[in-house]
Amino acid sequence: MSSHTLGGDAASEVALQTPARSLWSDAWRRFRRHRLALAGLTVLGLLTAAVLVGPLVLGIDPEQIDFGAKDAGPSLAHLMGTDELGRDQLARVLDGGRLTLAVASAAVLVSIVVGVLVGALAGYAGGFVDNALMRLVDVFYSLPGLFVVILLVTLLGAGFSTIVIAIAVFSWMNTARLVRASFLSLKEKEYVEAARTIGVGDVQIALRHILPNALTPVIVSATLGIATAILIESALSFLGLGFQPPQATWGAMLNQSQTAVINQGQWWRGFFPGAMIFLTVLAVNYVGDGLRDALDPRKVER
Amino acid sequence: MGAYVIRRSLQAIPLLIGISIVLFAMLQMTPGGPLASSEAAGGRATAERTERLREEFGLDDPLPVQYVNWAGGIVTGDWGTSYNTGRPVIDSIVDRLPTTLLLTGLAFAVALAIALPVGIFAATRQYSAFDYVSSGLSFVGVATPSFWFGLMLLFLLSFELGWLPSSGLEDLREQHVGLAAVWDRLSHLIMPVAVLALIATAQLTRYVRGSMLEVLHQDYVRTARGSGLPERRVIVRHAFRNAAVPVVTIAVLMIPDLFLGAVITESIFAIPGMGRLFIESAELRDYPVLLGILIIAALLVVLANLLADILYGLLDPRISYE
Repeated sequence: MSSHTLGGDAASEVALQTPARSLWSDAWRRFRRHRLALAGLTVLGLLTAAVLVGPLVLGIDPEQIDFGAKDAGPSLAHLMGTDELGRDQLARVLDGGRLTLAVASAAVLVSIVVGVLVGALAGYAGGFVDNALMRLVDVFYSLPGLFVVILLVTLLGAGFSTIVIAIAVFSWMNTARLVRASFLSLKEKEYVEAARTIGVGDVQIALRHILPNALTPVIVSATLGIATAILIESALSFLGLGFQPPQATWGAMLNQSQTAVINQGQWWRGFFPGAMIFLTVLAVNYVGDGLRDALDPRKVER
Repeated sequence: MGAYVIRRSLQAIPLLIGISIVLFAMLQMTPGGPLASSEAAGGRATAERTERLREEFGLDDPLPVQYVNWAGGIVTGDWGTSYNTGRPVIDSIVDRLPTTLLLTGLAFAVALAIALPVGIFAATRQYSAFDYVSSGLSFVGVATPSFWFGLMLLFLLSFELGWLPSSGLEDLREQHVGLAAVWDRLSHLIMPVAVLALIATAQLTRYVRGSMLEVLHQDYVRTARGSGLPERRVIVRHAFRNAAVPVVTIAVLMIPDLFLGAVITESIFAIPGMGRLFIESAELRDYPVLLGILIIAALLVVLANLLADILYGLLDPRISYE
């Protein structure tokens, strides 16, 4: 362990030169330098605010039917135009966005819980349990995702919880692998051994001492998972197998807009809901990229 | 090498068994249980008939026995019959498969044809305007929902400009001959293939650029340059051949994604392929057909993984097969 003392000396020398910073302030400093990631974060913040408080500010009922204003293109009165019932598209896009984002966040949350549980168990227990769980991960990786989600939703009936579960069932594997890898390396660390020698229990060690340190890579994968979840839910609803009217996510709005766009040339019916999906996914991807750079300790500072 | 391929192929068997168990579990969840995948479907079966069928199909057997019987049927080609048409599932799928394979193949070719030159060129001119534009576009491409892209293409190229037909694979109103027939087929394929290829192209371009950049910084590339080889030769012979190893793997792994993506493409453009069959079957709750297609898709995923592994072994001389 001579290299250990050497490393310790080098670290204290560096520490003398630069003021101490925590992992998070360090990460934030690196993240801020990633301009596109910062822009992505801003867009996401604005989008979330828009779907949460926008409908209140706008004051238009998304279900308000007005035949006098039906099939109208974008104008000052209706910024995103209206549909065949004269309903305001902006109000509907904001309303639908809340559902889209809620489904995606819930699905990611569930998949993280499942992934962390499986990964922690596999990594901490090791041996046969680890082997069996990792084969399970392989099996789920090999199942054709979108098809199985469609089958599950068809079987269980389309609703908020079934769609969330169907998406989550096919997106926990990456988290499980990451958490397992962290657990495998962290459980050999001296501080874990120290905890064990003074008699801390297995559950306590796994939850209090290893888990917090294993979560960093999960943050990136969870962020990018939101984009995937949004795309899967939108595809499902676009195919007419997801949320049913009057519930309208962005994907469902696109589904209902098909005839109007293709046969009547009412581009605004499809353009705006799709643009929202695009914008959200793009922003999430940029934030995920920025987070990866900011949180990866192997990244060389330039 | 032969032994390596065989050994690697044998490893896929437990995976296939695992997948079949998950699919079998889903079959148990179908309303009415697995009985619904027999001719008893339609809800007209009387209690005695159901009882007889339960016996005939061995539904009172323990689950493991049922599983073995079901999996045996899959292996021997007995995939049940469609509720909707009464035809054997395997026949319905075989009818639709060529169309989807055509779309998948064309999209794959387009993705490679664009991603390879663009990715290589961007990497050799890192931080140039070309690099920024192509990298930006591939980021945008990855985030574009294919159904939105398809819908907007339809609006622009079919509705506004009237250049391309909006649905199907051929003109049903008129028989074309010669060049007109070729254009008829081609014009029906342009938009679907573009929509299907979009995300794969964007992902692959990023990947090609990334692995080229990694290789270009290696010592042996500097050595090749230093020894006075023409730049073109350095890029093609020394850099790209090494960068190609991970690129081939990723490209092969994209094939199942393209195949699954055809669901959306076929749905937008009303193309009678397997994806559309899947959606139609989902709407009609035609479980035997849904499961049949799932088995095909899962097989494709496993095969692509296998192929990627074998190719990786073939292309990278550092990997030993022993």
